[in-house]
Amino acid sequence: MKYHLITLGCQMNLSDSGRLSTVLNDAGFVYTDHEEEANVLGILACSVRQNAINKVYSRISKWNKRKGKENLITFISGCILDADKEKFLKLFDFVFQMSEVAKLPEMINQYGVTSQASVRNSSIYTDINQFWNIKPQYDSAFEAFVPIQNGCDKFCTFCAVPYTRGREVSRSSDEIIQEVKSLLEKGYKSITLLGQNVNSYGLDKNGDEISFAELLRRIGELGKISNHKFWLYFTSPHPRDMNDEVIDVIAEYPCLAKQIHLPLQSGDDKVLIRMNRKHNLSKYRSIVEKIRITIPEATLFTDIIVGFTGETDEQFENTMKAFDEFKFNMAYIAKYSPRPGAASSRWVDDIPNDLKKERLALLTDKLQSHVSEYNQNLIGKTLTVLVLDQDRKDEFLTGLTEGKINIRFKSDDASLIGKFCDIKVISNAAFSLEGELINANSEVLA
Amino acid sequence: MQKFTIQKKPKKYNTEGLNTTLTFVQPNTLKVIGLRELTLTAYVLRLERKNIKLFAGQHISLGFGNDGATREYSIYSGENDPFIEVLIKEVEDGLVSKQLKRCEIGDRVRFDGPVGYFRIDENKIKDSKFLFIASGTGIAPFHSFIKSYPELEYELLHGVRYSYEAYERSEYNANNYHLCSTRDDKGNYFGRVTEYLKDLPFDNSMQVYLCGNCDMIHDAYDILLEQGFSADNLHSEVYF
Repeated sequence: MKYHLITLGCQMNLSDSGRLSTVLNDAGFVYTDHEEEANVLGILACSVRQNAINKVYSRISKWNKRKGKENLITFISGCILDADKEKFLKLFDFVFQMSEVAKLPEMINQYGVTSQASVRNSSIYTDINQFWNIKPQYDSAFEAFVPIQNGCDKFCTFCAVPYTRGREVSRSSDEIIQEVKSLLEKGYKSITLLGQNVNSYGLDKNGDEISFAELLRRIGELGKISNHKFWLYFTSPHPRDMNDEVIDVIAEYPCLAKQIHLPLQSGDDKVLIRMNRKHNLSKYRSIVEKIRITIPEATLFTDIIVGFTGETDEQFENTMKAFDEFKFNMAYIAKYSPRPGAASSRWVDDIPNDLKKERLALLTDKLQSHVSEYNQNLIGKTLTVLVLDQDRKDEFLTGLTEGKINIRFKSDDASLIGKFCDIKVISNAAFSLEGELINANSEVLA
Repeated sequence: MQKFTIQKKPKKYNTEGLNTTLTFVQPNTLKVIGLRELTLTAYVLRLERKNIKLFAGQHISLGFGNDGATREYSIYSGENDPFIEVLIKEVEDGLVSKQLKRCEIGDRVRFDGPVGYFRIDENKIKDSKFLFIASGTGIAPFHSFIKSYPELEYELLHGVRYSYEAYERSEYNANNYHLCSTRDDKGNYFGRVTEYLKDLPFDNSMQVYLCGNCDMIHDAYDILLEQGFSADNLHSEVYF
C-alpha cells in the first residue's frame, strides 16, 4: 500500500517527516510522490501562518471528495492548535501528536488494513524522547537535519508554537552525538541541529544535561577526528540565550559553520517589548559585536516581522536603522498576520496591509543593498561550495558557501552534486553569486 | 496499484484496548484549594503546589472547561509558599478568566509551566535597589518577589483606576508602596503612574521591573530612558 506525505512549515516538520516515513516504511507501506496513487494520505501541519492552515483545509477537502470513490485513509499531525484539532477531528481519520507516530500502523489496522507492524505490540515511542529514537529517512544523501530540542517557553506574543509544541524539552546529548556520528560515517556534508530555541538546549534539565556550547564543542571534536569535511549549522537560536561561549566554540572548530541565524524580529525596543521577546536592541548588539570580533568571516542571517500590531513609522524606521547597523547577509522578512492561538491575535491588527507591503519592500531594498555590497567584495575570491543541485539555468549547478550564500557555476557534471568544490566568484546578482569551477573536489579537511 | 478493502470503518479512531492513549496527551491538572475575591472582578485563585519548582516572576498557563483554551497568569504567591496563587482580573469578554472564577474547591484546572524569564537576578539582590512599576494585576509578580525575597530594597508604583484596586496593599511596606489612581483621589497620587514617575524621579541606577499594560510600559520606558536609566536595567512583562 502506498502513502503520500505533505509537509508544511519549518525544517523541524521536515525532520519529523523523516521519522514518520521510517514508521510507515517499517510497517510495509511504500512512499509515493504522486498523491493520486496513495491510499494513505498525511499532512504535517504548521500553525505559524494562517496560509499553511488554509492549505490543510484545501487538501483535505480534495481528499474527502476522493473518499466516496476510493479506499483512502487520512491523517494529520505536526503543529496543531487545540482549536484546529477539534475541527480536524471531523475531517481526518486520525489526528495525533508526532510523539505518538509509532502507533500509526496500529491506527490504520483499526480500519482492517494489516501491515507488518500492526500485528506487533508497539507500546514504544510514546513521548518525544522515544520519538527521537526513531531512525529517520533522510531526504538527501548529503544534507541532514538533527532535532535536538522541541517546544518553546518564550511565549513571543506573535507566535503559536508554545501552544502547539508545548514546553522546551532537550534531547539526550548522547543520542544527538550518536546521530551526528552516524551521519558522518555515511558521508553527510551539511548537518543542521534543529530546535524552536536551539540554543536553549539543556536548560530544561536543570544541570543534568550539557549546555548548547558544550554540545557544539563535542561535535567540533568529532569534526577533528572525522576523515571527511562537513559543516554543522544550527537553527533557530534565541538572542536571550545566546552567550559568548557559543560564539567562542564556533570560532574554535572548523567544522562548525561560520554562519549564524539570529532572529531580531524588530529593531525597536518598544516593539520587542510588545512582542515579549525578552531581549532588547542593546543585547542583540552586544551579541553581534562579539560575533564580528571573534568570527569576522561569519555571515549573519535574521528574521523580521514588519507591521506588527501598533508598529509606528518611527518604530519601523528603527528596524531600517538596525539593518544599516548589522548589515545582515540574509533576512527572512514577513508581513505580520495574526495567528489564532497566539496572544497577539487578541489585539487589533491595526497596520493596513498596504503599509505592511510598503515596509516589506523598503526593508527588502535595504537588505539587498547590504547583501550586494558584501557579495561584491567576494568577487575574485575562491570559496568552498557544497553543490546542492542543478540550477534552473541550463548547464549550471547551484550550491551554498559555508556562509549559506547561493552561488551557481557553469558545469553539467551532475556527479558534483553533494560534493565540496572550489568556486571562484566572478559576479554578483541580487541575493546570489556566480562563479567558475576551480577545483571539482575539495573534500580535504580545512 | 495494490488494491485493498477497508473491512471496517470506526467512526473515529478507537483507543479502547490499547496500551496507551492515542489521542492528544492529557494535560497536567492542579486542584483548586481556595479562591478569594478582592474586588467584584479581581480574585486570587489558590492551587495545590505539589512538588512544582517555581521562581518568583514566572507565569503559568491555566484553563478550565472543555474548550482547551488557556491563558498565562503571573504567579502571585512566594517561592516558598506551600501553594500556588495567581491574581486574576475577570475580563468582560474574556473566556478563561470567567471560567476560572466559577471554580470550586476541589475542581481541577488544566495547568502548564511554570515558565518565564521575568526574574530577579539573585546576585543583584544584595547590592541593588529595585523599582517595581505595575498597572492593575501587573502587581502579581512583584507580590511574589517581595514575598520570596523579604530583604529586597524596593519602591513599588502601582497604577490603578480606583484606589480599591490596591490589591492586598497591606502585604507591602506602606512607605515603599505608591498607589496612583486615575479615577479617584484616595491613593498616594491622583493620576497616572507614569505622571508620578515624571514628577518624582527615582535613582537611575535602580533595577527597574515593569509589568502590566503595554502602553503604560512604553510610556514609562521613554520616561526612564530620559531620566538616565540604562535600557539594560529595564525589564518588562507585558500583559495582554
